[in-house]
Amino acid sequence: MFDAALSALSSLADPSLLIMLAIGVFAGLVMGLIPGLGGTGAVAILMPITFGMQPEQAFALLIGALAVVHTSDTVSAVLLGAPGSASASVTMLDGYAMARKGQAKRALSLAFLSSMAGGLIGALGLTLAIPLARPLVLSFASPELFMLTVLGVSLAAVLSRGNIVKGLLAGFLGLLLGQVGTSPTTAEERFTFGSLFLGDGLSLVAVALGIFGLAEIASRVGQRTVDKDMVGLGGGWMSGIKEWLTHWSQVIRGALIGIWAGVLPGVGATAGTWLAYGQAVATAKDKRNFGKGDPRGIVGPESSNNSVEAGDLIPTLLFGIPGGVPSAMLLGMLLTYGIQPGPAIVTEHLNLMYLIVWCFAIASILGAFLCFLATPSLAKLTKVPFAVLGAGLLVIMLLGAFQEGGQIGDLWIMIILGAVGWLMKATDTPRAPFLIGFVLAIPMERYYYLTDSLYDGLGWLTRPGVLVFLAVLIAPALLALVKRTRKSAPDLGHRGEDDLSHGEEDEAEDGQLKDSIWSLGLALGVTLIFGTALAVSQSFSAEAQLMPRLVSIGGLITGLILLWKELRARRSIGDGPGWTHDVTIAMRMFAAMALFLVLVMLGGYLLAVALFVPAFLLFVARATPRTTIIYTLVLCAVLLTLPSILPVDLPTGLLQS
Amino acid sequence: MTIVVAYADTPPGRAALNLAAQEALHRKTSLIAVPAVSGTSLTESELTDRLGAAGAEIVAAGGTVSVGSSDLHDPADAVIQVAQQVDATLICLGLRHRSPVGKLLLGSTAQRILLDATCPVLSVKAD
Repeated sequence: MFDAALSALSSLADPSLLIMLAIGVFAGLVMGLIPGLGGTGAVAILMPITFGMQPEQAFALLIGALAVVHTSDTVSAVLLGAPGSASASVTMLDGYAMARKGQAKRALSLAFLSSMAGGLIGALGLTLAIPLARPLVLSFASPELFMLTVLGVSLAAVLSRGNIVKGLLAGFLGLLLGQVGTSPTTAEERFTFGSLFLGDGLSLVAVALGIFGLAEIASRVGQRTVDKDMVGLGGGWMSGIKEWLTHWSQVIRGALIGIWAGVLPGVGATAGTWLAYGQAVATAKDKRNFGKGDPRGIVGPESSNNSVEAGDLIPTLLFGIPGGVPSAMLLGMLLTYGIQPGPAIVTEHLNLMYLIVWCFAIASILGAFLCFLATPSLAKLTKVPFAVLGAGLLVIMLLGAFQEGGQIGDLWIMIILGAVGWLMKATDTPRAPFLIGFVLAIPMERYYYLTDSLYDGLGWLTRPGVLVFLAVLIAPALLALVKRTRKSAPDLGHRGEDDLSHGEEDEAEDGQLKDSIWSLGLALGVTLIFGTALAVSQSFSAEAQLMPRLVSIGGLITGLILLWKELRARRSIGDGPGWTHDVTIAMRMFAAMALFLVLVMLGGYLLAVALFVPAFLLFVARATPRTTIIYTLVLCAVLLTLPSILPVDLPTGLLQS
Repeated sequence: MTIVVAYADTPPGRAALNLAAQEALHRKTSLIAVPAVSGTSLTESELTDRLGAAGAEIVAAGGTVSVGSSDLHDPADAVIQVAQQVDATLICLGLRHRSPVGKLLLGSTAQRILLDATCPVLSVKAD
């Protein structure tokens, strides 16, 4: 084990790996500053670049970005009082208060150092998890691995956001979508409706960027800039650095909470930071200054949101169940390289695992260092209105999704899923179980077949490992039931159940369409999809039919429960919000995206960008003509040079050929 | 000089509020109510309604009646933070019975306040 760790370190002496790591760190820092992207956006945007690279280079780039996203997202939270990602909103409570007192540098240095330490402790946790889990992982056979995939999806559904029915429905939907394409066992086409390009299944990048990336653009583009002026960078770096050393116990506690939150599927950085904050408050004797600039309110959460990403990697790499959305994408990427996480990775690819650990640790240090150096200049990026960034992001995201299969159909799917993702976000439906389900659909089916053909009947259910996983699966459901019955009796407060209710990735402005005609429509639509899927799956052969049928029946039942709940809520609360201003903006945004795609199909990518981006900037973002011209020229220049430095293809249109 | 009451719209919570009002009158101090069940909100007018005549008497005696709020997520921490910020002389708290298993699963706001408070705590049970 020690040898493997050292040899992984020596392979990092390869300059190409170091360059990739540095690029990843820089990209991660920039994306951390942009609101709404977070780790999910960083991995999804960078992933297309890695197609065609060696796995080592690809992981150096992606881990470099993932490790530092939560280091730089603090900047806008502290200086503007507008968090770059949901998990930084915790830091805002005390960080912004401290900055307004003229101690911005103190707050930032506390945050950067804690982020660095959190990343290092997270990497250490990942290292220690390898030898601990190795014998366990090696004892797993297909029944256990099947149970793990089931556990991955269902825990994500149960733990994210506390809305179990919606979470399960999203998980089932992801599983169903993951089965589109060729069946892994019988090589027959499922849910392709005769379309050739659906035969390969949906592209992971398109799905992830659609459901998270485009949905984020659509919901944020209507927001105007933060009117608040940026707080000046007052105070000294040194005072913060000295103070940080006195809070070392908070740093370690925060990091450990973060690792734990990361290991649990569906509990992401946001919940992890709130848990760390709650812990810091609960154990503090003098609570007077929390929310008014207490250093302990910065140190713990900042340390935990970086270690969450490392904790996420533990179940992802060792058991093949992603702990969060970014790691779900990494898992999908591992699979495309033919590296099976779980038993195979601890025997054959141990070197890659340790390389990931080293990359994480080095990136954490590098990221904090760069933040100290570059914050004054990078902070200006946080003042750019999101609509202006949105145009460029849209162009980059669509180009990224095009790289996986080179199919324009992927881009249409991405926009449709973007609308679905926006609706899910607006109706308070967790999206993490959806993506985890999508990634795990094929492994789950494969393990199920192995189990089914190797064991007689249900004999595999009595294997000790399977029994343990069954217990883990059922215990949270029982606990939730106990809580619900307890809750019916009014009492003087109880702690605990809402600690985890701060969901994954997004906060604050979402859920505004809850209990409305929209959520009813979503429930109805999804239920209909499962009904159709059940009917369609009747035509498959017996082997190919089993998994889709199980998923559709499960989804149908969950969908009907949700429908009933929605109808009941309508009767008691009333109609709820109808056609609001946000809906109009989002609809216009998706129409604009569709228009852009039509332009791409007609005139090719470059022409479409040259027409769409200026129009978007002038009419939607209301940018000045000067900005518009420079922006468009730079973007076109980048698009022109990109194919010559990276293996990137631009979509071509009808008029070009 | 202030008395902080952990407010909840339940029998023990109302008993605590009544007790706090009596104490505030007796000691001629102000009263601050802090919602102690997450998700509940309390406005000043609701509070004066609940207090009724006792509220007017407190004001007449020179004190004030107000609602305290905190950014903290956990209600127990919120009550203690407000108490520390105003340097309260007393926290009033309603108690209810909870089985050991229930306490294990759900924890108890009241227990946290009792153990973590930095000022005396006066507790009361519902009749």
